[in-house]
Amino acid sequence: MPSSKFPIPQGTLDMLILQIVSLEPVHGYGIAQRLDQISRSVVHANQGSLYPALHRLELKGWLRAEWKESETGREAKFYSLTASGRKQLAAEKQSWARLAGAVQLIFNEGNR
Amino acid sequence: MMWQLANWFRRKKLESDLDRELRYHLDRRIIDLERSGLPTEEARRQALLELGGVTQVQEEVRDIWLSRWLRDFVYDLRFSARSFFRSPSFTATTVLSLALGIGATTALYSLIDQIVLRALPVDHPERLVLIDWIGFQYAETFGTSNVMSYPICQDLQQKKDFFEGVLCRAATTISASTGGEPKLTAAELVSGNYFSLLGVRPALGRLLTTDDDQTPGSSPVVVLSYDFWKNQLGGAADIVGRKVLVNQYPMTVVGVAAPAFHGIDVGEVPSLWIPAVMSAQAIPGFTTMLDRRTRWMQILGRLKQNVSLQQAQTRLQPWFKSMLDEDMRRTNVSRASAELRRQFLASTLELTPAPQGHSVLRQGLSRPLWVLFVATAVLLALACLNVAGLFLARGSARHREISTRLALGASRGRIGRQLLADSVLLAFAGGLLGVVMSPIAVRALIAFLPHNSAANDLHANVDTHLLVFASLVSLATGFLAGSAPAFQAGRRSLDSSLRERGGTSSGGLLLRRGIVTAQIAFTLILVVAAGLFIRTLSGLLAKGPGFDTSSLISFGIKPALTGYSDDEANQLIRRISEEIRTSGSTRASAIARVQLLLGGAWNNSLTIQDRQQFVTDREVQLNAVTPGFFATLGARIVAGRDFNEHDALNAIAVGQSLPVSQSGRRVVIVNDAFVKRYFGGRNPLGALVAMGSGPGTKPDTEIIGVVENISYRSVREQWEQAYYPIGTEFSGSNFYVRFRGTPESAFRSIRAILRKADPALPITYFRTLDEQIDRSLNTEHMLAALSSSFGTLALLLSLVGLYGVMSFVVTQRTREIGIRLALGAMRWSAIWLVLRDALSMILSGIAIGLPFVWALGRLVESQLYDVKPSDPAVIAITTLILCSAGLGAALIPAHRASSINPTDALRVE
Repeated sequence: MPSSKFPIPQGTLDMLILQIVSLEPVHGYGIAQRLDQISRSVVHANQGSLYPALHRLELKGWLRAEWKESETGREAKFYSLTASGRKQLAAEKQSWARLAGAVQLIFNEGNR
Repeated sequence: MMWQLANWFRRKKLESDLDRELRYHLDRRIIDLERSGLPTEEARRQALLELGGVTQVQEEVRDIWLSRWLRDFVYDLRFSARSFFRSPSFTATTVLSLALGIGATTALYSLIDQIVLRALPVDHPERLVLIDWIGFQYAETFGTSNVMSYPICQDLQQKKDFFEGVLCRAATTISASTGGEPKLTAAELVSGNYFSLLGVRPALGRLLTTDDDQTPGSSPVVVLSYDFWKNQLGGAADIVGRKVLVNQYPMTVVGVAAPAFHGIDVGEVPSLWIPAVMSAQAIPGFTTMLDRRTRWMQILGRLKQNVSLQQAQTRLQPWFKSMLDEDMRRTNVSRASAELRRQFLASTLELTPAPQGHSVLRQGLSRPLWVLFVATAVLLALACLNVAGLFLARGSARHREISTRLALGASRGRIGRQLLADSVLLAFAGGLLGVVMSPIAVRALIAFLPHNSAANDLHANVDTHLLVFASLVSLATGFLAGSAPAFQAGRRSLDSSLRERGGTSSGGLLLRRGIVTAQIAFTLILVVAAGLFIRTLSGLLAKGPGFDTSSLISFGIKPALTGYSDDEANQLIRRISEEIRTSGSTRASAIARVQLLLGGAWNNSLTIQDRQQFVTDREVQLNAVTPGFFATLGARIVAGRDFNEHDALNAIAVGQSLPVSQSGRRVVIVNDAFVKRYFGGRNPLGALVAMGSGPGTKPDTEIIGVVENISYRSVREQWEQAYYPIGTEFSGSNFYVRFRGTPESAFRSIRAILRKADPALPITYFRTLDEQIDRSLNTEHMLAALSSSFGTLALLLSLVGLYGVMSFVVTQRTREIGIRLALGAMRWSAIWLVLRDALSMILSGIAIGLPFVWALGRLVESQLYDVKPSDPAVIAITTLILCSAGLGAALIPAHRASSINPTDALRVE
């Protein structure tokens, strides 16, 4: 499927999920929607890889899941951030900022 | 990994949850897409497309729950378990044989771990070293092994370049009273830095410090062991500051040691620790603590962080040499003979790693334990082979199933893994059963070990060490047992096995023959070992101690421990001796200074004046006895006479406090071995000897008698002995009583006499000589009992293997044998056909095993008595047993072969 959106960089999906979940407990479909909105349709996240990622994060103990009534009145699996998940998100944010900063620096070097 | 495994058990819930989750996603997406104007069908298609296929997502998520490899393996295990439940007898046989092998190995490992391998529960045990004097110390010896004097320990404590600290300790038995009756209790005399150097913390109060170890007699304080405090004093909270009577001498409890700390000797756990400076109070009559020529303490040091053992040992030698030179001047070493002076000066200091502390038990037992461990390893290998053989047999039965799976596209690796899963599962079941059984085995093993007044620190608990060991062994066993069938399955040509009819495949017969041959070889090793140890034990029992042990009791008393002075003790012992002698149940009684058959002896060199004066080339074993000692034991005086009352009358303590007779003469009785070694068998009566070896030693003690050889330290040993009449120095006495009637009545009447003399008198031991012999031979008993049970088990396992293979051979050759019989072959020739086959396996197994027997012989040589590891009689009998038992096992299938009905056989297929 030809798309103007570029694919999500390797490894950043987990970080984005953690970030979305950190705002409030949310179900899988909600995360998919939020991903679409937040990235303003610039980044394309394959929905197929969303659920394996959620289960991986749950197994690592960063996410906690519970079944709750959703906005439509149906039961949905809501994910929320655990304490260690919060720590992980902070760490990832920091290392992302460092990486981005470093890449920016290199680009600036080249432009001078 | 653990979480993933847990997921396996709740996979149903996980599946349904995932299902609901995905359905929710799809339904919401479809509704959203419908709202944006898509028709329902199109919306569904679009939603599924975005998700990338429900099955694919499910598969991916499952891989996260349980990695694919693990999932497949769990499926394999489940399949294996199901097939095992379908054939319970096969499963029971394999699990049981593996459990026996693993259980025995684990039990032995448990003991080896506790006695030989385990480091002390102290700070950095790996830097502890034992410091020992190699050579000749020219000193009076108290204690068992690796002992040196207290002043040398003090010297070594100054060597701060090499050691963080140096401690010394000596084990002893005291009478302790905490208010009630005094009880004989194990104690450890230690230098003041003992606890701080080992890094032991107190559970209560404080531990000993260097302040407690300054001048002799100045620090009457003790530290209690946690167990003693809990068990004997009920864990009294106010114990610190209370008094304990140590040999009737009041000492103050200053603290209780940490619960995990049991001293540095796994075989002798002290109940209390006493500063070394209190040795005169703890060991009555011991006044030579500061004497450099009295060795009695083991010395351990802790190396500094950056100093290696080798460096320390090398760089300590110059100091040690100068100390030897100084000793020559400051002590009486200079009076020794030139030869002994040379030996003294040639001494060196040796450092050996001692993370496990120091233990006499370890020194005596590590070799026998390793021997038994090797035996259990062989037994385990045999059990592995047995299981492998059974698997092969089973594999040939189910090889159509395997062929079908191969034909359907399963990879050979996948099939091999299935078979490995089979054997690993069985091995773990066997391992589990083995671990459950091992405490029983360990308790039985501990019962074989020597036990004395001090408790040992051995237990039969299953700890993590043991679990790790058992699971490693199980895993290895599983792989070993499963590799043969897996290999076999991977090799077989699919084409030919599918074409065969069920039940008649070759079934890896060659491999199975190989396995049985190897089993016979292993069995040979174990049965030969059993034969050697049984011969050793029976040889020692037949030899005996050289005297009649029936109706003989011995016991020891130590009056000095309850505060008797030498004079009082002397009077008490004479009174008891007289009462026992005149008691109705006594036939004869006598006293010896040193107890027989306990492993220890009083040793010294003698100077002999025969045609010329010479010194014995090795130390003679000495004892002091009352008149009638030899008659009581039933040892014959072969020349001269026994002591009489006059020999010891004018007891004047001279030198070693040897008594002098009325006429002023000193007398001695020597044994046959002494006469043989030093008089070439000539009559020694009238020759003069003297104790010691210095040039100033004047032989003035006349040999008045020769007694036949009797055992002193152990039944095994025959040594030169010399007996002196007992003097008046009664610090303790060992009574030997030949009684009438039953041992029980004799015990009763002797106990009554002792109670009447003094109810609080410490009795150090009280047992029949038969029991004493059993105790002194307990290692031999252990080796003989265990090796013969291992041998029997091995024989049983290999017979089962042999029987299985021969049955299979007969089934396979039914047709051939039928044709032979139809053509007129005799029945016995059919029997012979099978037996010959079995015999060839047995004989080649023996041929393979013999070199191993020869090689392993070196390991056991030191444990044997009067028999060589390659003893032809033992090997011949073993071969005979193996052949006859093997042929017996083969006879059943052979008989079946001979009774084949030719017409039936030809009709098969």
